[in-house]
Amino acid sequence: MRYVALATLLLGGVSGAVGSFNFLRKKTLVGETVAHSMLPGVLIAFLLSGVKNPYVLIIGAATSGWLSILLVDYITQQSKIKGDSALAIVLSSFFGFGIVLLTVIQSNYGGEQSGLDHYIFGNAAAMTPEDSTAFAWVSGLVLILVLSFYHSIKSVVFNLEYADAIGINVKFIDGLISFITILSISVGIKAVGIVMMSALLIIPPTAARFWTNRLVRLLLLSGFFGALAGWLGAFVSYSQVSMPTGPWTIVIISLIAFISMLFAPKRGVIYQRWSKLLLKRRINEENLLKTAVQNEVRGLGKLFNRRSISQRQFFEQRLWNRTVRRLRRKGLIKKVHTGFTLSTEGRSYGAEIDRRHKIWEIYLQRRMQMSINLVHDEAETMEHFLTPEIEAEILGELGLCSRFNPLLEIHELVPDNLVNAL
Amino acid sequence: MDAFWIIVTGFLVASSTGMLGNLLLLRRMSMMGDALSHAVLPGIVIAYLISGSRASVPLFLGAIIMGVVTTLLIQFFSSKGKMQADAAMGTVFTFLFAVGVILVTKYAGQADIDADCVLHGEIAFVPLQTSSFLGLGVPAPVWTLLILLGIIQLVFWVGYKGWLLTSFNGEYAKSIGIKTAIWHYTLMAATSVATVVSFESVGAILVIAFLVVPAATAYLITDNLKRMTLYILAQGLVSAVLGYFLSEWVGGSISGSMAVASFLLFAVSFVWSKKRGLKSPL
Repeated sequence: MRYVALATLLLGGVSGAVGSFNFLRKKTLVGETVAHSMLPGVLIAFLLSGVKNPYVLIIGAATSGWLSILLVDYITQQSKIKGDSALAIVLSSFFGFGIVLLTVIQSNYGGEQSGLDHYIFGNAAAMTPEDSTAFAWVSGLVLILVLSFYHSIKSVVFNLEYADAIGINVKFIDGLISFITILSISVGIKAVGIVMMSALLIIPPTAARFWTNRLVRLLLLSGFFGALAGWLGAFVSYSQVSMPTGPWTIVIISLIAFISMLFAPKRGVIYQRWSKLLLKRRINEENLLKTAVQNEVRGLGKLFNRRSISQRQFFEQRLWNRTVRRLRRKGLIKKVHTGFTLSTEGRSYGAEIDRRHKIWEIYLQRRMQMSINLVHDEAETMEHFLTPEIEAEILGELGLCSRFNPLLEIHELVPDNLVNAL
Repeated sequence: MDAFWIIVTGFLVASSTGMLGNLLLLRRMSMMGDALSHAVLPGIVIAYLISGSRASVPLFLGAIIMGVVTTLLIQFFSSKGKMQADAAMGTVFTFLFAVGVILVTKYAGQADIDADCVLHGEIAFVPLQTSSFLGLGVPAPVWTLLILLGIIQLVFWVGYKGWLLTSFNGEYAKSIGIKTAIWHYTLMAATSVATVVSFESVGAILVIAFLVVPAATAYLITDNLKRMTLYILAQGLVSAVLGYFLSEWVGGSISGSMAVASFLLFAVSFVWSKKRGLKSPL
């Protein structure tokens, strides 16, 4: 039990890390084809050798996996068949051939063939210590290869043209990635099964991608997720009679992926929803404050309500209520008996937004040569995103004093002035 | 007589799924066929468990629901979850398939299905469930497949213009007001149903051979969609016959042999198209 758990853990880790490379190259489905295509290889190796020696079967599996990749490339290069169709064609043909072989072997061989069908759904419980040793060797080999070519692999994965330009042997690295992919699939199919193996390459990097932007962390995290799922999957299939390892490993790793997708910081669905909501709120608040300030400047009085604001910036009743409630809580506006009025902080905040709006309008007109009719709409968005640093830079660029205050100086007449000048 | 019905079944599976594979191929969604054929498994098992029988109607419902659910899930993962498209597909279908296999293993005794049957089906059992028609013992699966073929032909030809437009130029179709999403989901639902109907005879994984390979064979020979459908039917027939005799000869799985025969035909058309220098990008 201990070495089985160790082996599946190792397998999950290695395939998770190796899968990251295919994941980043957007070639995840290659694993699906390679895994399915290994069935005839395993069986032919068995037929030729007559034994179920793990190394022999791994070599058989790897050979037919390699052939399948070559065939996919050949079909896409030599005909008008597209990549995904070529994958599907090769997958189904190899697998169909494998099924024929399997049924032939099952009816012609006695006891010595039993267990070959484990390759399809996987059965960690049926693994021998020999299998585990084979796992360890292959994992070590993959690890050494990845470490020694790490920088070349990294360049090829992220930017093929660049890698080619700086003199990396792209074809070799490409082959190397295929090689380690095939290697990890060929050892993995015994434990998790042909049908499930591709998932062990696809899902861990997918899950890990939600947590990090860096390759090293992606590899480590993806490996960790894969190892965790492999270990738990072996555990479940051990504790429950006749439960296959593969499916449980996949269900566990999928759950990890779903949780990552929902809860990961920055890239997770919930975080993204939440930050979008916060942004929307902030924009509404800023719009309200800005409009109130503009009304004051235009001499419409210090009091405002939904109607007076909505003349320039429309607020629906419910949105108004919510926005006003938040602004009051923040102390930016105050309620007076007939309406609302800006607090000192609220006024300077609103004025700041208005200022950014105008700075951006001026910038677009003077530097980007944009039409006056267009600048307002652009500035409506940008006013919420200009940071003080960008603002200072733009002012410098325009040759304006850093205390430039359009409220006092041009008083939102920028467009009109220019129209008159024309 | 058994041989006849087995070949008929193989032909019906190949020709009905092949029509859909045709559209999948043109839309560059062949691996979606693979994904769907895996993903409908939990739908099948749950339908078995709820209805307690192999009756077709609940199975179809289960398949359609699973097909649409799979498509929606992939959509959700890639647009809302911001997963890259291939990873979203890979995650969804392997997960659903794993759930299906676990359900099969857990309820194997009750639902009268097992993992092997899921895998390669058993077309050899087709002649065992016959009903009499005009003095002929027609196997039940043949009826189901005939109805399926009829429905698929109907859907294909009635919507021919729409399929043509949405498959060859989705952007253009959208711009002239065609609701491409409806066509997309129809195709997904139809593929799921075809997968389920074929699953009893050829298994969940080999369906992909019948979906894609005949279409690819035809695609190499002609650019004309109408002629392609004709070639697909011919390909299905020849690979069913060839596959049957191949399996007789080697004594192996019939559906597997049909997949191999189908690939051989593909190889022939591949070599032929290469000789003629047909490499025109679509």
